[in-house]
Amino acid sequence: MKQWPDWALVLRAAASVALLAAAGALLGSFRDLAWAGAAIVLAITLVLQWLRSAQLLRWLRTRSIADAPDANGLRGELVAQIVRLLRSRQRRKRQLMRLLRTVRRATAALPEGVVMLSEQAEIAWFNRAAARLLRLSRKSDRGLRIDNLLRQPEFVDYLRGRRYDAPVRVRMGMVPEQFLNLQLVHFGEGQLLLLVSDATHENQVEAMRKDFVANASHELRSPLTVIAGYLETLAADDGIEPALQGPMREMRRQAERMQGIIADLLSLSRLETGDPEVAGEPVDVGLLLKQVERDILSRQQRPRLVHSTAESNQWLRGDHDQLYSLVRNLMENAANYTPADGEVRARWWVDAAGGHLAVTDTGIGIAADHIPRLTERFYRVDVGRSRATGGSGLGLAIVKHVLQKHGGRLEIASVEGRGSSFTCHFPAERLLRRPASRAAAAL
Amino acid sequence: MDAADLSHHTSRRFNEDLEQVRSKVLAMGGLVEEQLRRAMTALADADSSLGRAVAHEDHKVNGMELSIDEECSRILATRAPAAGDLRMVVATIKAITDLERVGDECEKIGLIAARLAGEVQPADRYREVRELGREVQLQLHESLDAFARLDAPQALRAARSDRSVDDAYDAIQRQGMTRMLEDPQQIRRQFDLIAVARALERIGDHAKNLCEYVIYTVSGRDVRHSSLDQVERELAARGG
Repeated sequence: MKQWPDWALVLRAAASVALLAAAGALLGSFRDLAWAGAAIVLAITLVLQWLRSAQLLRWLRTRSIADAPDANGLRGELVAQIVRLLRSRQRRKRQLMRLLRTVRRATAALPEGVVMLSEQAEIAWFNRAAARLLRLSRKSDRGLRIDNLLRQPEFVDYLRGRRYDAPVRVRMGMVPEQFLNLQLVHFGEGQLLLLVSDATHENQVEAMRKDFVANASHELRSPLTVIAGYLETLAADDGIEPALQGPMREMRRQAERMQGIIADLLSLSRLETGDPEVAGEPVDVGLLLKQVERDILSRQQRPRLVHSTAESNQWLRGDHDQLYSLVRNLMENAANYTPADGEVRARWWVDAAGGHLAVTDTGIGIAADHIPRLTERFYRVDVGRSRATGGSGLGLAIVKHVLQKHGGRLEIASVEGRGSSFTCHFPAERLLRRPASRAAAAL
Repeated sequence: MDAADLSHHTSRRFNEDLEQVRSKVLAMGGLVEEQLRRAMTALADADSSLGRAVAHEDHKVNGMELSIDEECSRILATRAPAAGDLRMVVATIKAITDLERVGDECEKIGLIAARLAGEVQPADRYREVRELGREVQLQLHESLDAFARLDAPQALRAARSDRSVDDAYDAIQRQGMTRMLEDPQQIRRQFDLIAVARALERIGDHAKNLCEYVIYTVSGRDVRHSSLDQVERELAARGG
């Protein structure tokens, strides 16, 4: 491309101006007014130029290629260049529109709902699936804040919490009942993308699984009670051959273990259904610790030291039975995995962050790669050993669920061969002063 | 910064304030809807702990009412809104009172559900009351949607459904009395069920009030004591 106008064009223009001026001068020279003649002709030329420039400007404003003015020379070249520019712009625009239409069609065809949100969480755009799943209306809902229409407390908290690593499940509509997974994703500058998928089927499958486990455990319980009952009666019978007494004892032990597993399965399935968070009543954590401590101390095989301390007299608002099973599971686990010369300590304390319950032992410890999976059901670090201690394999799963129901979380630290510590953190909102009536009664 | 710019700036801040308050009202509405759903689930599933949890959590609704009320007072005092904005603030103050009452009714239903859970549940799991509950849940949802969209026609539709809620309540009441006469053993339970139906009917009334505030905000017309048909004609005449 040339930097400066084609010299030929410039020269031609200059020549034609000079020619005109010369012609003017020639005309003027008849009356000895050569200069005036030249000046008048030049002035007329100038005015004509202005008029043509104005015409060019008018055309440029319309930006219509079809109306391009006829021109030649320098101006003709100008017009041709502008037409070319307009054409390429039009082409680009058409390409972009086509791309946009394809993108729109693609997102519209997505089975998942997509909603684009502004920084203020206002609805900017959404696809057809989102309109169907969230019952949005194309006509009225653009510009509305998404949480004004999706008012489910779970979603409102999710949106305001600003932590969008996992989706949130909400209920939508009543007949038929529908469940949606909603996931927020950051994009652009502060904008958000809301992805919506139908989780009704998923939810149903989960519910069916939970029901199955609950029903199966329930059905297994009654026959097992009968077996355990007869075994107990038989064991008390002196008429039994000595050779059978060993197997008899083992059968009783295993029956008890099975009963333990079923009881844990049932309490787990109760924890899974029901309300996501318990309201509960005031619970004295220090007392719970003492009760479990006493139970463990009465065992024949136990660590040398089992001790609990309550450093705060604040109580915890929660479900008494659930918290009891949390404390029992943690302390019994600790006692089971700690040798006879070891120690188990439980401690309850309160600080600005909330209430904390730690159970620490000097037992065998857990390797770091097992720790993240410890709270899975039936997860065993050492299959032989844990079966021998008679655990159900569900204890820590129960602990995790109880904590979830109390807005708390579990922290596990362990060094192999040195011991482990399990710390439960409860939010400060769940702490209570010791109830007055009980305090008075205790005096 | 010149004066026009300043006033533009203040008005934008003001709009943001209003939007913020509106969002809070709708979040409160969402919480109340959830409370109603859980209370009705507690009744249908005979889940006493869920019923008690609903009653226990009513304080959240009350807390939201207080904080929104305070914010509205602040807006009235510092911004002195006029016309449409003023109507919006007034409607908001009224709406949260109604929502708070809906919360109270949910608390009642939760407590009754917890009590009924201790008794033998009839095979139909209180079908009529559950159906009324669904209808009221839908009405409340539609009313809040109309509030979110400031959609007067939708508000009008939701307000109309209150009539069928009232009819259903009357039917349950009559049926309850018949059952009491037939079987005096059932008197206590029937009283409880009528109380639940009554609470639901009240919730329907509060939802209808919400709809009226929407129409008031949009059109500036107080429709609390006008017939719905008349309101509809007027809205149509305005070309809305």
